[in-house]
Amino acid sequence: MGRDRWSAAGLAVLAIAYLLAGRRYPLDTLATPGPGVVPLTAGVALLATAVWLFIVAGFVGAGSARPARDAGGLFEERVAPTRPTESLMQRPMRWTARALCVALILYTVLLPWLGFAASSFALVVIAARLMGAPGWWRPIVLALGVAGVAHLLFARWLGVPLP
Amino acid sequence: MSELFVALTPANLLACFIGTVLGTVVGVLPGLGPAGAMALVLPLTLKMGPTAGLIMLAGIYYGAMYGGSTTSILVNVPGEGASVVTTIDGYRLARKGRAGAALAVAAIGSFVAGTFSVVALQLTAPLVARAALAFGPAEYFAFALLGLVLLGNLTGGSRAKSLAMVLLGIMLSTVGMDPLGGTIRFTFDLAGAQAGLSFVAVTTGLFGIAEVLATAAERAPTTPVARVRFRELYPSREELRRSVAPMLRGTVLGFLVGLVPGPAATIASFVSYGVEKKVSKHRAELGTGAIEGVAGPEAANNAAAGGGMIPLLSLGLPFTPSTAVLLSGMLLMSVTPGPFLLRDHPNVFWGVIGSFYVGNVMLLVLNLPLVGLFARVATIPPRYLMPAVLVLCAVAAYADNNNVFDVWVAVGAGMTGWAMRSLGFDPAPLVLGLVLGAVLERSLVQALTIARGEIAGLWASWPAALMLAATALAVVFPVVSAVARRTLGTHIGRGRQRERRHL
Repeated sequence: MGRDRWSAAGLAVLAIAYLLAGRRYPLDTLATPGPGVVPLTAGVALLATAVWLFIVAGFVGAGSARPARDAGGLFEERVAPTRPTESLMQRPMRWTARALCVALILYTVLLPWLGFAASSFALVVIAARLMGAPGWWRPIVLALGVAGVAHLLFARWLGVPLP
Repeated sequence: MSELFVALTPANLLACFIGTVLGTVVGVLPGLGPAGAMALVLPLTLKMGPTAGLIMLAGIYYGAMYGGSTTSILVNVPGEGASVVTTIDGYRLARKGRAGAALAVAAIGSFVAGTFSVVALQLTAPLVARAALAFGPAEYFAFALLGLVLLGNLTGGSRAKSLAMVLLGIMLSTVGMDPLGGTIRFTFDLAGAQAGLSFVAVTTGLFGIAEVLATAAERAPTTPVARVRFRELYPSREELRRSVAPMLRGTVLGFLVGLVPGPAATIASFVSYGVEKKVSKHRAELGTGAIEGVAGPEAANNAAAGGGMIPLLSLGLPFTPSTAVLLSGMLLMSVTPGPFLLRDHPNVFWGVIGSFYVGNVMLLVLNLPLVGLFARVATIPPRYLMPAVLVLCAVAAYADNNNVFDVWVAVGAGMTGWAMRSLGFDPAPLVLGLVLGAVLERSLVQALTIARGEIAGLWASWPAALMLAATALAVVFPVVSAVARRTLGTHIGRGRQRERRHL
């Protein structure tokens, strides 16, 4: 199953979950529409769109050109260029983004416990290192600067009660 | 009208200056667009008061259009979607040693178009606002629906994917209190969700955090920047002469495209380039470094930015993510855009329009001599810039309601936004669905209540009927044209096969 079909299936599951959660809100009458009318309409419309996307993804997948490598030669009709293979350099980068996601979740969990300054300092150091900043001094100086400026600007000047 | 001079007070001039400089920097930096940057500085602008705050936000909005061209010409990296077309001829001009001339023409074109669009905005927005006074819930429902459907057709990618994003946005807009009855929906007992999902948190996540994650996943190398001397900024008389007509064409086209829902600035620049390829005397040179390929699109994207302000200021309906953030800022500052804005807040209305004039002059003055400096901003390595963006996103999301729940929303939106991008879903329709969802629901319920449950009440007035007919056309036309193309293509294919057999 291709990526488009997976995403269509995901949207369909989301629409069904939303429709099930929205069952508790009354529809009432057309003269006095209840709070369930728009959720029901939007949920059904998303489900229909997801089904359409799923069908179209299959149709496109079956009718589109096959990669040259799979077609077994250059003389096949509707031959597309072979999909570029993922370079070895790209793989660790995708992992960088995933590691950054984990760092962001940890940051949000720790924010109320460690406070804004300490958790932001840690996030900047980790993010800079993950994104390829060399050594430790530069990320640490950057993190001190970012956390300090953000604290001065938001907590001192704007009076935002940062955790 | 005398309120136009509100823009000239020292505080408003400073706000305009900061906004335009920030906008230029954001335009120069690939990735973080004006919508994300505006959402990031939204908490700052709340402290400044409505007029200065909105002038600063508007400055970022149109400043980004100016800045986007700099890196397109010098580095071949568009800072903004609206500057993608400029790379085609702009970068080739730079390689021919005419970078200075291309930058100057881009700045002059942006200035001409920006000024034209402000004059048109100044003249038309009050008229549209006056006409909109006759709008009831049925007309608002029809207009919001038309906007969302057109947006689905114009975002460039798959229509079904855009529609799915619009619907997802509408679904997210139903989280929290029902706009009329007060029923709490889809909060799952989370106290932070009772007032609805924070628009700032969703925007910073979708446009800020998602951008950082995408950059981390791709990590493109930085390109060296060509050095431009001040004396090289003068275009030749021939270059100026050739730029006039494309600039004017781009200005008018851009303004008209700006009125249509969707990524107007980007579409306007592509439409302008397409028109130049058809009508320009030097169309054969386009694609090889022709000045027309810079003058037209750069004028068009700036004019579109001005055009996009008309539905926001006069109807209170934003049709681009940037104007949606502007709307959010206005609401946070207790200023409701729409037909009554001119009556209730004349200082804000005319102050923002006046700041457009001042901002355009500031941008021209700033962009010509400081172009080299702005171009260097683009070379800041993402490994130092992006971690700072992450913290700013988190603090902007938190500051909206002083709530950690909103940071969770921003992080969730960021990860979802990154996943959406890699699956080919554009986040812009989701943001507009989130903003327009509440308008759509409120106006639908009110219209049905007024019509005592008669569905026909939705198209009882001619403006509503006209807009609903246009909506139906916008849904049906692409399907019919696709079927027609396929059928026609099959016939042509069969005809060619027959010809081959005869041969």
